[in-house]
Amino acid sequence: MTSAAARGLVSCPECALVSRPVTPQAPGHCPRCGEKLVFRRENAIQRTWALLIAATVLYAPANLLPVLATTTIVSSSSETIMSGVIYLYASGSWPLALIVFVASIVIPIGKIVTLGFVLVTVQRGMTTSDRQRTRLYRIVEFIGRWSMLDVFVDTFVVALVQLSPLMSVEPGPGVVYFMAVVVLTMFAAMSFDPRLIWDRSKAIRGS
Amino acid sequence: MEADDDIPEAVAVPPRRARFSPIWIVPILAILVAIGVAWERLASEGPTITITFKSADGIEAGKTFVKYKEVNIGQVTSVRLTDDAQNVEVLARIAKSASALMVEDAHFWVVRPRISLSGVSGLSTLISGNYIGFEAGASKKKEKQYTGLEVPPIVTGNTPGRQYVLQSTDLGSLGIGSPLYYRRLPVGQVVAYDLAPDGSSVQIRVFVSAPYDKYVVRDTRFYNASGVDVSLTANGLDVRTQSLVALLEGGIAFETPPGYASSSQAASETVFPLFHDRVTAMKVDESIATRYVLFFKESVRGLSVGAPVNFYGVAVGEVTEVGLFFDPKNLDVKPRVEVVLYPERVVAQLPTGQGARLQALVEQQGIRREFMQKLVEQRSLRAQLATGSLLTGQRFVSLGYFPKAAKTRLDWTQVPAELPTVVSTLPEIEEKLGRIIDKLEKVPLDGIAEDLRKALTSLDETLREARLTIQRFDTDVTPSLKAALNDARGALGAAEKMLTSTETNLVGPGAPGQVELRNAMQELARAARSLRVLADYLERHPESLIRGKTAEPAPK
Repeated sequence: MTSAAARGLVSCPECALVSRPVTPQAPGHCPRCGEKLVFRRENAIQRTWALLIAATVLYAPANLLPVLATTTIVSSSSETIMSGVIYLYASGSWPLALIVFVASIVIPIGKIVTLGFVLVTVQRGMTTSDRQRTRLYRIVEFIGRWSMLDVFVDTFVVALVQLSPLMSVEPGPGVVYFMAVVVLTMFAAMSFDPRLIWDRSKAIRGS
Repeated sequence: MEADDDIPEAVAVPPRRARFSPIWIVPILAILVAIGVAWERLASEGPTITITFKSADGIEAGKTFVKYKEVNIGQVTSVRLTDDAQNVEVLARIAKSASALMVEDAHFWVVRPRISLSGVSGLSTLISGNYIGFEAGASKKKEKQYTGLEVPPIVTGNTPGRQYVLQSTDLGSLGIGSPLYYRRLPVGQVVAYDLAPDGSSVQIRVFVSAPYDKYVVRDTRFYNASGVDVSLTANGLDVRTQSLVALLEGGIAFETPPGYASSSQAASETVFPLFHDRVTAMKVDESIATRYVLFFKESVRGLSVGAPVNFYGVAVGEVTEVGLFFDPKNLDVKPRVEVVLYPERVVAQLPTGQGARLQALVEQQGIRREFMQKLVEQRSLRAQLATGSLLTGQRFVSLGYFPKAAKTRLDWTQVPAELPTVVSTLPEIEEKLGRIIDKLEKVPLDGIAEDLRKALTSLDETLREARLTIQRFDTDVTPSLKAALNDARGALGAAEKMLTSTETNLVGPGAPGQVELRNAMQELARAARSLRVLADYLERHPESLIRGKTAEPAPK
């Protein structure tokens, strides 16, 4: 079985209707849903790489800069993501620590690594384990929005805890970078075309 | 489509993929931002310094700040023991902006609440936690290793004022922060104290804040103002204290003796002695002092070192030594007292004009000796022990003139010269009293009593005789006396009769004497009337005395 593209057909990225393109250069629009048709997303790999690299770069300040600055009468302290996790764990609420750790450390890193892996395999023309790679990509796309958890928590805390002069919480610069990382990885995942994974595949499983 | 088969189909060239997609701007921007962040972070990173403390009480990594003028200039990054586990090393990251302050003579100390009698400090640390205080130095040399101070410096380097060093035999109740008073105004503090390198004295550093430092002149006296200075003098009870704080905590006061106030201001780091009390401190500096030795012939009990030497009741010197002296010539031991006389004290008691003139003379040793010699040899100036207080038995040396004292010479070759003495008045009185008692003892009281008894016996006899005489008088004289009285009564009756007749003749109405008397009286009244007329006239016409009566003929 060959792919639709190989047969000169184009599938709608939105409703998956396979139609004949107007011309191979300009396939036109989907006759069902009106979505602009493309054989493959333009410069998908390059774009994904660019966004992924940007996300990776910004991941460093996101983790090194404090995300939350707490000022109380007694002291003022600023926490980075990791120190917050350690603090939560040390203060006994390890489930909370785990959530923050997973949402803020594991997921972003996992996303970046996964996308990078998929990109590399696609570029290398890897033909095996297409389904696993596709699943990975889907997971990345799905969980992308959930790693904003940290940013949400941050904004909630900042908005709620304003007991000045007793205590006040302010967002640190790290949160901006962290948000950028999340958004960039989300865009990176979106700009990737999963159809590229199986383009080179000789054997398409199933019927 | 069939007909066109021979027409070659155009080759569809897929559009060449752009080598460079504008999407790459995103990672480039990200990299730039990341570099920017890193750069900013590195640029704001100041030096990390190490401060060694005895204990890390209240210092926590990441929570304790380094503050200078209450501004955060750094943060403690880690606290660890030194390698020998004796001290604590505190690593602090200093802000870039404050890195220039990290010079070798800067100081660090832990600010914690301190409550002392002289004040409360660091109270804010009760809620904010301790922090590390910082005091900038003057040096330019950078330093990364510091030893923290255990107590905060009292005076920060940029407080205007001057530091002085006081030398004392002991610290007394002084401590760091003890107040310094000038006219009972707190003007400074004790900032440090230390033993002198040889351990023989204590050096106390005091700081006098501006503008009061200008009152510290070279002749200023510093004295311990701790406690209460109670003295019972001839003027009564004199109690002196500085302030309640000084009373409880100790303190130092300074004062400049009158007459020295105009001397030049003392430079910073000038060393002053610290006197124990005001009286000692304020003693005018006696640069001229003459020592004399006194040999007494009586007990010197009650005479102590420091006892005054009075001259006409004015203290002119003091006793410096009390002891014994062995005379090898006649194998005798006698009390030896050394005194020092300050001629300037005599000068100080003189009126201003005289004092200045005499001061010049006093400063020359020759004149001074000549004068003293004259006093001793011609006017018989002698030293004498005197009792200051009969209650305590305290004695002092009194100088006075004793013209009756044996002539003596003042020998200047001896050092110190011997000042002749006389026996004190109290033993003299004792001696006189003794003599009187001796004489009283010699009185033959027994004989006197015998004589008295004899006299009384004879008196008794005399009285008995007198009584007999009176009895005799009673019996013999009284009857004849009665007869005499009767005669006298008769004579009185005759006299009465005679007087009655006289009355009728002389003063009864119609008595010739009476008539004549009345006439005379009338005549006298008339004369008086005419005199009144004359007086009236004269009053109206006083000129008539000169010119005579004009209109009327003058009265006779």
